Amino acid sequence: MRDDDVFDRSRDITILELLDRVLNKGVILTGDVVISVADVDLVYLGINLMLSSVETMEQLKSGKTITGT
Amino acid sequence: MILIYALLPVNNDQDALNLQLSELKGISGENLYIVSVNEIGAVASDVKAIEAISDRSCVLEYAEVIERLARQFTLLPVRFGSAMKSTDAIVQLLIRNRDEITDNIGKVSGKIEFGLKVFCDADKLSEELKEQSGRDSNVPAISGGENHRSVYREYITRKLQVHRQEELLVTYVDSVIDKIKVSLSVFDASCKFKKMTTASNIINTAILVKKEEKDELVIKIENLQTICPGLSFVLTGPWPPYSFVDFTVKHDTI
Repeated sequence: MRDDDVFDRSRDITILELLDRVLNKGVILTGDVVISVADVDLVYLGINLMLSSVETMEQLKSGKTITGT
Repeated sequence: MILIYALLPVNNDQDALNLQLSELKGISGENLYIVSVNEIGAVASDVKAIEAISDRSCVLEYAEVIERLARQFTLLPVRFGSAMKSTDAIVQLLIRNRDEITDNIGKVSGKIEFGLKVFCDADKLSEELKEQSGRDSNVPAISGGENHRSVYREYITRKLQVHRQEELLVTYVDSVIDKIKVSLSVFDASCKFKKMTTASNIINTAILVKKEEKDELVIKIENLQTICPGLSFVLTGPWPPYSFVDFTVKHDTI
């Protein structure tokens, strides 16, 4: 497996986990405005262990690859 | 409209909270502020049009605000897209739901959430269970030779094997969950399990542990990986306690 594969997979997992939480969990205000979010990745592939952080999200926003630990 | 990011207690560290909010920006660069009543507050920012925040970069900005605040304060994340018309409406919401909010904040205080996904090689596992199903299924033999080998009998046999295979899969997944529970029993952890998200993602777990138990949790998951070499354990986090919000806020107007 190439290193690039690992990086891409870790990014997929992080973004999916993040979106799952922000869009589907947390306090629900009944009757709140529903917002559809375009371009959501639905890929489950992974390395064995990876931790997310604010830095990870900053990298995601800027489109850079990220490293797992 | 006013977008709400999180609910949190505001009795302590008010200055630190104000400082933190002044250093952050909400979606579209809007200033963050707190609407509070009875020692409970909501972190909010104005939004010109709700349609303007419906893309993924806005979700990431929203999540980043919550995560940065969660590093310093105990809070309840609010689901993305929760907006109200006025600060008065938010105040009413906080008053009506004060007890539930306070109770839930108490449950997650000083704790962080992790996600644990367990993956398998779906084809390999399916093949193993198929073999086991074939061995274990006890379809009674019917005497009389080839005449009794009807399509109906073959159909029933296949159905029985599929059913048996499904039972074995559930039993197998339950046994992995038991291993996770045993492994986490040393913590005062709360866990939520979801089985069979996809064919290969057999378990999805949300784990809430004390902040200081983070390193030990990582070691426990690495040990689980060693115990179960045929599976892949993926740990993500720490997250704000998204999965451990246990109530729905009720309000009349938005």
